[in-house]
Amino acid sequence: MGKNKKEIDLEEIHTKYRPIVSFRVRKSLGSFTPDWEDVVNEIIINVIEKIKKGEFRGESSIGTFIYTITSRRIIDHIRQKSKVLKHAPEPVAYPDPHLQVENKERAELMTEAIQKLKPKYREVLYLYYYKELSREEVAQKLGITSRRVSERVNYSQKLLKKLITK
Amino acid sequence: MKKCNFKVLIDDYLFNRLDEDKKEEFEEHYFNCPSCFEKMAERNELIAVVKSKGQTIFKDEYIAEAAKGETWLEKITSFLTPRQWALSTVSAVLLLVAIFYVIPNLKTTTPQFYINEDAFTVRTADNKITLISPIIDMKTVQSKFEWVKLDREDVEYKVYIYNNGDMLWSETTKENFIVLPEEVKLLMTAGEKYSWQVKAFSPEGTIISISGKVRFKIHKGE
Repeated sequence: MGKNKKEIDLEEIHTKYRPIVSFRVRKSLGSFTPDWEDVVNEIIINVIEKIKKGEFRGESSIGTFIYTITSRRIIDHIRQKSKVLKHAPEPVAYPDPHLQVENKERAELMTEAIQKLKPKYREVLYLYYYKELSREEVAQKLGITSRRVSERVNYSQKLLKKLITK
Repeated sequence: MKKCNFKVLIDDYLFNRLDEDKKEEFEEHYFNCPSCFEKMAERNELIAVVKSKGQTIFKDEYIAEAAKGETWLEKITSFLTPRQWALSTVSAVLLLVAIFYVIPNLKTTTPQFYINEDAFTVRTADNKITLISPIIDMKTVQSKFEWVKLDREDVEYKVYIYNNGDMLWSETTKENFIVLPEEVKLLMTAGEKYSWQVKAFSPEGTIISISGKVRFKIHKGE
């Protein structure tokens, strides 16, 4: 499943796990938390230090090791935040303007791509993601099986990926 | 892409529908499964776009849904017996009388509201306020409260935050979001139940639209 201590490539911690840690931190703290990137940096540094000190003994996978450190740091951050909230500064503009531009462009591309989908796929995305109906509710509404709903969602995702990367 | 049993949990995880144990299990899993993480990141992006641009993207679906409603009504009427038809006709006449009597009187009163299928959306005529965030439970008090802006520009929004039904705080803004002051955040504690709502007013102070009340809870720490 995971790599053992000897195989750990510190560069891989940055390239492979940084996006995963970032996702987990943003999901837990909320995208509008201005210091989420600091939390991610602290986690990555902490992971590397622990590996260097030999604290990763390969008893679990490296993924689980990083997951545990990430979860603990998130809990600490929430505790810390609730203590210092009284003196906490107002959130600054979020987040990196370059990142926003990139996301905006991707969002535009994705919007156009969804509009190009066949009605039967768009209809499923509309009911399942926009209206947040369950698979069963969507299935009932469209007169198809729940399995077919999942298939249409998955196929839409594949088509969108193709349309965006064209 | 590798087939993985955890993939079926992606949507429920992103919509916060998993219980705590399942959520932790899935989180640990995606730290170990690049395939699941990649798919989840793609889904997350898709959901974010659908949620933020949905009104533009799904114009046709709105129309189709309304049309389907009519077809459904037609199907129902074809199943009625003559006796039921007679009763329906009488009811319809009474309803029409009520409508023609009530409508002229309503013109001078407040606008009519009707609930959309979204649990958290209430709208008037063409105006609709959809709350974006927060619409779920959270681990810490969220600073930014956001909703979808109405099409017209001259709107003033009034945001209300309630604690167990009692109004905790309210503020007005012309933006489609509001940042909670620190003193309000300090009043909000983990474990308590809160809800929020947005009302839109015209420059003359007339209410244009009102969102549903969305409940949320701040989870206690570990």
